[in-house]
Amino acid sequence: MASDSSPANFNGPTSPDDSYSSPIGNTFSSPGDARRRSRRRSTTPSAFATPPPNQSRFATSDANPALTPTPSSRRGGRRGGRRATSTTPVNAAGTPTSTDDAPASSEGGEGYDADDARPTFVWGTNISVEDVNEAIYRFLKHFRDSSTASQSEDGLLREGKYEIAIKRVIEIEGESLDVNARDVFDYDPDLYTKMVRYPLEVLAIFDIVLMNMVGRINPLFEKHIQTRIFNLKSSTSMRNLNPSDVERMVSLKGMIIRSSSIIPEIREAIFRCLVCGYYSDPVVINRGQITEPKICLKEECQARDSMTLVHNRCRFTDKQIVRLQETPDEIPEGGTPHTVSLLMHDKLVDTGKPGDRVEVTGIYRAMTVRVGPAQRTVKSLFKTYIDCLHIKKTDKSRMLAEDPTMDVDNPTGRNVEDISFDEEKVEQLKELSKLPDIYDRLTRSLAPNIWELDDVKKGLLCQLFGGNALKLASGASFRGDINILLVGDPGTSKSQLLQYIHKLSPRGIYTSGRGSSAVGLTAYVAKDPETGETVLESGALVLSDRGICCIDEFDKMSDNARSMLHEVMEQQTVSIAKAGIIASLNARTSVLACANPSGSRYNPRLSVIDNIHLPPTLLSRFDLIYLLLDKADEQTDRRLAKHIVALHFENPESLEQDVLDLSTLTTYVSYARKHIHPQLSDEAAEELTQGYVELRRRGNFPGSSKKVITATPRQIESLIRLSEALARIRFSEWVEKSDVMEAFRLLEVAMQQSATDHSTGTIDMDLITTGVSASERMRRENVLSAIRSIIMEKMQLGGPSMRLLELLEELKKQSPGPEVHLHDLRNAVSTLASEGFVSLHGDTVKRV
Amino acid sequence: MVGLAYDLLANPQGAVRSTFEKAVASSGLDFDPASLDGKDWGALDLFRQFLSDQTHLSQVPILNGETIKWVQPNTLVRFRGMIQDMLGNEFYVGAFKDGDVWRTNKFMDVSHFPMPMAATSSPHMRVWERRLLYCVPVPGRNSWTEPSSELVVNRCVDCSSQQREKRRRMDDEPVDHMDMLVSDEGFQGSPSTKKMKEDGHPSMSSQTTEPINEGICSHMSMVPSIDSDSLPCLVKIYDSPESDLKLNDVFEFIGVLTFDSEVSMDKDDQDELSNGFSEDVLVHLPPNKVPRLHCLIHRKLTVPDFLHSSPIMELKPHVVKEIRDALLRHLTAVLGDDSVAAHFMLLHLLSRVHTRVENIAVGKLSLNLTGFSKESVSLFGHRLSLAVKDLLPVTHCIPLSVEYLNSASLAPIKDYETNRLITGVLQLAEGSHLIIDETQLKAGTLNSVGVDNTRLLKNLMELQKVEYDFKYYKMEMAADVQLLIISEGKSNILPADIVIPFQPTSVDSSEVVAAEALEAWRWYLATVKSLPHSIESEMQKVVENDLVEARQSDRSIGSQDFNRWLTMGRLMSVSFGENCLSLEHWQMVKELERLRTERLK
Repeated sequence: MASDSSPANFNGPTSPDDSYSSPIGNTFSSPGDARRRSRRRSTTPSAFATPPPNQSRFATSDANPALTPTPSSRRGGRRGGRRATSTTPVNAAGTPTSTDDAPASSEGGEGYDADDARPTFVWGTNISVEDVNEAIYRFLKHFRDSSTASQSEDGLLREGKYEIAIKRVIEIEGESLDVNARDVFDYDPDLYTKMVRYPLEVLAIFDIVLMNMVGRINPLFEKHIQTRIFNLKSSTSMRNLNPSDVERMVSLKGMIIRSSSIIPEIREAIFRCLVCGYYSDPVVINRGQITEPKICLKEECQARDSMTLVHNRCRFTDKQIVRLQETPDEIPEGGTPHTVSLLMHDKLVDTGKPGDRVEVTGIYRAMTVRVGPAQRTVKSLFKTYIDCLHIKKTDKSRMLAEDPTMDVDNPTGRNVEDISFDEEKVEQLKELSKLPDIYDRLTRSLAPNIWELDDVKKGLLCQLFGGNALKLASGASFRGDINILLVGDPGTSKSQLLQYIHKLSPRGIYTSGRGSSAVGLTAYVAKDPETGETVLESGALVLSDRGICCIDEFDKMSDNARSMLHEVMEQQTVSIAKAGIIASLNARTSVLACANPSGSRYNPRLSVIDNIHLPPTLLSRFDLIYLLLDKADEQTDRRLAKHIVALHFENPESLEQDVLDLSTLTTYVSYARKHIHPQLSDEAAEELTQGYVELRRRGNFPGSSKKVITATPRQIESLIRLSEALARIRFSEWVEKSDVMEAFRLLEVAMQQSATDHSTGTIDMDLITTGVSASERMRRENVLSAIRSIIMEKMQLGGPSMRLLELLEELKKQSPGPEVHLHDLRNAVSTLASEGFVSLHGDTVKRV
Repeated sequence: MVGLAYDLLANPQGAVRSTFEKAVASSGLDFDPASLDGKDWGALDLFRQFLSDQTHLSQVPILNGETIKWVQPNTLVRFRGMIQDMLGNEFYVGAFKDGDVWRTNKFMDVSHFPMPMAATSSPHMRVWERRLLYCVPVPGRNSWTEPSSELVVNRCVDCSSQQREKRRRMDDEPVDHMDMLVSDEGFQGSPSTKKMKEDGHPSMSSQTTEPINEGICSHMSMVPSIDSDSLPCLVKIYDSPESDLKLNDVFEFIGVLTFDSEVSMDKDDQDELSNGFSEDVLVHLPPNKVPRLHCLIHRKLTVPDFLHSSPIMELKPHVVKEIRDALLRHLTAVLGDDSVAAHFMLLHLLSRVHTRVENIAVGKLSLNLTGFSKESVSLFGHRLSLAVKDLLPVTHCIPLSVEYLNSASLAPIKDYETNRLITGVLQLAEGSHLIIDETQLKAGTLNSVGVDNTRLLKNLMELQKVEYDFKYYKMEMAADVQLLIISEGKSNILPADIVIPFQPTSVDSSEVVAAEALEAWRWYLATVKSLPHSIESEMQKVVENDLVEARQSDRSIGSQDFNRWLTMGRLMSVSFGENCLSLEHWQMVKELERLRTERLK
């Protein structure tokens, strides 16, 4: 017993009080000696041969639970009221020193401040039991959430946080009180340090103080309440656990990989005499063993070897051994995950299932390995495990998905589930968000191995962040998810982008168009093979609720399947009516699709719509449609060549760009999605209206009868979503004017609208990627005005038509400046035609 | 160093102890054992110094299935192997006070002195930690890499004691040498596949099917893992940073052998609690089956370390060129006078992943020889695999068939019952060579295992990464494997970097290769492969222009092709022993590519 909690002398005998803490502190070499010196219950060496868990919290020593704040008292305390009376003969005999502490123990741990003038120290340390006792009491009594609350008595305007908590526990007859270690730290850093350093001792005192308080509040409350500490200031990596952590409180993150069946562990045994039927007093477990009474204790009987165990009167507790493994992100390159065993008791049993990611707070312990069953020799090895105090399930490593079970009608549209971000991490993220170039930086970090395509990446970034979903009181709802379609030539890394987003997004589902059927995407009704019941199986879109559904080869999808998307993309639900099941499932998913142009390569002579060749009804549901055109551009090729040459021949470090790693990116996005809900500022709203009107006007171009993508109310919704996403990127609660402008730009760029001839709906290939420089625009305007004047001059309204070539010669004559190409001329004339100034038929121009 | 107080070879622990005592004595009365945490008080220096002498080093026996029969426990041994699994850390009593004297337990399993009963912390005891690595002989290692250890045999022949005898009786297994299998089998049953079947599946099944709490593993069930070719070893590493030793690295460990057949873990003694903890891997590795090695010194092995009489040659251009030409001739002969294929083959053999940027493994060059028929496979395929086997230290061969794909366990899987990583075919050491024979593949249906396996192979081809299955998640491990695919048509399952139709013109090639030539080629491949490489800025311009030009003329050329050319350029100049890409070599690459595209038409 003494030895099992000997973390106390971990740091050597530092106690000033020699009478209690032996300077040598060696209870092992001479057990008899130790018995005398140790103020704890003595131990014979064989105790060590039994696995410590038995001696730990549960090896009860009812003799002196209070003064030997060993783990045992946790359990000892459970029997609270009985403690005073049930001093078992077994233990008492072996602990002569316990008389020292008798007053304290007989009173169940109460008021030892009074009974002993000398400070009592935890064996081998300079921790004074009284001090700790006081400190804990103060903490429990006076701690308030706001750090400003005064600690003095007159500050008692409202009850302390833990007083309330204790009362609640009593009300619900709970078994444990969760104590946030950070609160302890905030209130009393010294106590926190002691607690982490000597958890066995301090926790025992904690329990006692707690029971005292409980006793004061409700003297009739019988149950024992345990303290469960959680949320330590620092959590250790499993890999870094080392001998110096033994017997300290640690906090670990990991994944449960295996849990044992529940082991009933005997706590108290009751024996019955076979001769006279006398029932013995409960015999408590001692060093993992129950001693069967040799003789009947009834004076009249005293039969030898007659006692037998009465199973159903014994008390058992649950125990479980759980194996925890490092999460993948903590494993260094070239390593395999480490594992550690957890010992769970009582309520903690079965709190985690294999596969759960948990954060565990507990005491790291080591036990010796025996060579043989009866041998006293121990190997020089230790087995380590964690005596678990508290277990908390944590989130997944992927980008956080909002809780799927969340109430849809929740007006805030966000879950309140407490997925806590590490404070440090949050600070870091906030720092990041303040960077002026955060938008560009994030763009760069997104699929950094994909070359160029910055604007596409910006769009995808917006999709990741998403807009605000809105549900009006009237019941109308507006989705916040942004849908993106990538259309482009083969080999423009569309699929790679898709894969990357899939990897990054929460519950992303990746499907390929040809392999997906309508029901596979939405939901289908199936017969359960075993029960024969009809069950609803979710399809990809439902499964990716609150995530991104990536659909490759969108164009190769059957029309039937594609038409299923209509509902999903706007209403965000999937409705099912078959086989007697009528249901509407949530599918709040963003769709990221990619498709090849209708003729597998983009045909510049056809309009955008003709190239994409998807029904406009569906197209209009995509917020952004990117055309990724592979244009033979030497500049781009050269950059690619340079990049690859560098890849092969240069130091890879020099290639490293200033990018965020994947995990930071993920947490950044998750944090923003969860915590930032930007609203439109007035300025931004004004900008939006204006921009939209402008957009509408452009679509209603006179004389254009062809299919042109015109602005619809859907587009203004898209713009709002995009602007919100952009504000989120900056962690800003307000959508600024600049966000709106960027949203407009993204929309324009996406459709290559800057390069689209609005009258024909075709894209001017020359304008793609290079864009039009200001000087070029100037030149074009000059040509335009020159031609206008020529036509005014030479041509009569309704007069004979003129060939373009003639016009060109005329132009050259008039403006001897820079060379004018036929091509420029044609552009200019078609502009005039769209103004309704002239009409252009093939090669002939006619003034109208 | 003042004389050797102990025979370092026969009694290394004595030396450890004496240095420890010296260290304790020198610090006097106020000796603080904490000062030795994570340190070695000069014991290692002693060994390092001792072993830096080649003659001393060669006296240290190499531990394998043969030598284990006579090597004495508690002596110094060497073990060459691949880290197959990491079993975490182990806490042990590093130093303790025996009466008034400090003792140490470092580098040993059981204390030589009575140890006091102890809890984890007392001023009389320091708990230290060591790492446990489960090592196996490098999978697919060829027989010529085995160093001859006759010298040591002679020295220790008289050591065998009664105990040895006993063990010999227990462990005498039919020793099958790899070279026995080599030549007399068809290409299909090539040795590496057979070997794979042997030590891959049975040992795995024996581990998985065995219930944990069954009594001590019956002797028979462990037999496969102790046959002489695959003697595993549990290496205990002291005080070395984690990043030093990585999974799948090949190391030579020199340390103290403890292989105690007497101490057996009695299962009965385990009370209910330890049963719960019995995932403790050591239970599955009883000390009488798996030797323990307390590592004093470890050294990462590279290919040159496997060449025994490494001809210390300088990299003189003409020497290199000579060897290169000879090797090329040899490869041409092996490939039925197909010199273009031989050129690609040479580049392929020299390839290695030298950098990883994002998802791209730069430097890999997998080769797909197409145009094989049933007949040519049995002839050339076999010949090719033999040739590769003779040239590279670690080779494998997978005959790809639907049944194989549907049943094989390619990726290592973590078994949480035993808490062990069960190896898969694709758990390979860095620089392994893998031939995949796709000609055996017929139409059929893949089950989920098959689909998974195909994906694994594809990932290995494209990214040089293998996903290890940890049940709750997969973990990608970087690999560096040279892949050669033999197929009838272009392999679509396994997209190689280079696809070249194989066009043999002659069939007979009964070339006998001289041993010296082989030695020279092995040396050449090993040395040249690791040369550093760079590019001059002028040459860079030329290359860039060529790339841009190529892309301008053919839009279908993409970054993949660029990558391939640059890798080839690098390997080409490296094959001449040069550090810098020259125009000449670049032209050669372009010429090779031209020849290849012509063939593809």
